[in-house]
Amino acid sequence: MSGTVNFLQRLVFQSPPGEWALSQLRDLLIGALKQGPVPQHVAFEMDGNRRYARSHRMETVEGHHRGFESLARIMEICYKAGVKTVTVYAFSIENFNRPQYEVDGLMQLAKVKLEQLTTYGDILDRYGAAVRVLGQRDLLREDVLQVVDKAVARTQHNKNAVLNICFPYTSRAEIATAVQSTVSEFLAPPAPKNQLFSPSRIRQNILSRQLNGHDPLPTIRDSSPEKQTETEVAEGEGAVDADGGDSSSATLPPDSPSPRRRTRNGSYDEAKLPDPETITVETLDRHMYTSEDPPLDLFIRTSGVERLSDFMLWQCHQDTQIFFLNCLWPEFDFHHFVWVLLEWQWRLKQKSREDAPSRRRNGTIVE
Amino acid sequence: MPMSTSFKKAYRADSSKDHTLLTPQQRRYLFETNLPAMNEPSRPRTNSTTQRKSRLGVRKFIKTQLYVLIFALMHGIFSLYIRTRQAWNVVGYQMSSVLFYHHATPQYIQKDVTGLSKLPNHLSAILRSENPRLSADLDRLIDETAELATWCACAGIPMLSVYEKTGVLKKHMPRLYQAVIQKLAFYYGGEHPSLSLTCPHQESYSSPNVNTKDSIGHLRLHLISSQDGRDSMVDLTRTLADMSQRGKLSPQDISMDLINAELSEGVMAEPDLLILFSPHIELSSYPPWQIRLTEIFCLQDNETFSYQVFIKALRNFANAQMRRGK
Repeated sequence: MSGTVNFLQRLVFQSPPGEWALSQLRDLLIGALKQGPVPQHVAFEMDGNRRYARSHRMETVEGHHRGFESLARIMEICYKAGVKTVTVYAFSIENFNRPQYEVDGLMQLAKVKLEQLTTYGDILDRYGAAVRVLGQRDLLREDVLQVVDKAVARTQHNKNAVLNICFPYTSRAEIATAVQSTVSEFLAPPAPKNQLFSPSRIRQNILSRQLNGHDPLPTIRDSSPEKQTETEVAEGEGAVDADGGDSSSATLPPDSPSPRRRTRNGSYDEAKLPDPETITVETLDRHMYTSEDPPLDLFIRTSGVERLSDFMLWQCHQDTQIFFLNCLWPEFDFHHFVWVLLEWQWRLKQKSREDAPSRRRNGTIVE
Repeated sequence: MPMSTSFKKAYRADSSKDHTLLTPQQRRYLFETNLPAMNEPSRPRTNSTTQRKSRLGVRKFIKTQLYVLIFALMHGIFSLYIRTRQAWNVVGYQMSSVLFYHHATPQYIQKDVTGLSKLPNHLSAILRSENPRLSADLDRLIDETAELATWCACAGIPMLSVYEKTGVLKKHMPRLYQAVIQKLAFYYGGEHPSLSLTCPHQESYSSPNVNTKDSIGHLRLHLISSQDGRDSMVDLTRTLADMSQRGKLSPQDISMDLINAELSEGVMAEPDLLILFSPHIELSSYPPWQIRLTEIFCLQDNETFSYQVFIKALRNFANAQMRRGK
């Protein structure tokens, strides 16, 4: 009996007209959802690939492949719904503890997919989608790292949608890196924050424009955080040189090697250093991997585990809506996601409704 | 991307053969035919006539109207669903609250936790404050904290941290201390576990009489607020920056272990279990560093502070397995 039902179901839903109708229905529902607010940044913790593989009696690596298909599906929905940034937890630093063949399989999977991404990069360009890889790059194998860099470089000019792949990532490592780079930033004479629009640099610009008619304004060429801080530091030093008043250095490109002011053995020129008290939450925020992304609106973890497991701790602990779903990641599909989006919109509405009367009440108390 | 069955089949066959089955052109064709349409359709073409434009406009208008209609319909169905779910859950919780009740007796609570395979060493809870300036709300918060602390003491959980966003509890530590002691005395009768009340950057309150300490047990109640989250990390960064400016520390020395040691010492260590008494999961600025592997428990659609949430959270925790990336 169930066999025939199954067969009929397949006949209806997997025949070309059935598929066409389903995809039309999906588009309709997504179009409808877009009438309300849509989360700008969604994070997925893709958990349950191995359990799926086990329950379907396939190889673990095969489970991860199914997980990737699921990711592609969800990406498409996110794109259609107008989600700007999607962050996925692909590989945790802790995952290196897994059996070697599985780690290798995952690395291979990532490599192949990213390679394809670079090959068909023009398709991504059409959608204006960029891929970024967040995490501790130094832990990656050399060949994987090359592919990663290529894929990131190939798509970095796109601005409409961003896919952040956290690979190999843990949130604590991210925070520690952010603290570290903030401290390093405050070791470099004047913090870039204070002199983003420094008078001396503006003066220098005008001067050099008059001199040789081109614009030496430093441009930030790379969007990866590590490199960006490097450029910032370099910019900072360039500006200090200009502060020194040596007019011949005005035409120096800002990131050319400049004489360093700090002495190697310990103490720094304290008068020149920025005050550590000016470090704020925003400063740290700027050093997180997700500094360029909108605040996290929605956090989804599949497979029924109710922990964050070192993912997006800094980003999701404020007013992010967190959903722990019971389905495994390869099973995660349109109807799960739409339901979550609906609940998200509903909660948002609920919240604004709650906020409004309380504000009114507070107002009357004050009066 | 993978949408139609035929595509899926071809894709999987290709991928299982390490992408050697299809030629790049074939694969490209597969991708292109299955890719979604673009969001912003191309810019208005210069050669299109006004008549065509207006027809497109009408079609777009009708489409939008349809979307709005479907949107309203979806949300209608959804709120019907969620109201039913809420009602169902509330009735369920009402019934199970009869089943799970502590009767203000430590023995009952102990009986409830004896079957569990493990208990958290450090339990944490987020309490909600609607308007902490109102004294009724403060009274409620203090009462809830005292109640929760007593349950923990009865269950044998050595440490409880209570998170309250505004930090109003920290300002009333003596009062809270008295309230917890009273509650403990009420549950236990004569001899009750000793208590120490702590919070970051302040001195602690603890039971003056030491002799009761070893007999029944000891509970440490720790108070935290949103200040102990991001702000404490900013403070730490300031200190580290200051130290390295003085040349006492190199940025390379800043590691996860160092930060973890500082934050566990200065704020609190990682809790094992976090209980929320809100209808859905929202961490409301709970310290981010500390919730890395914490099991988060939230009873869906539950709005009340009650003993059954506590006991269900403990049960859930006992059944959860920690894999640590494996």
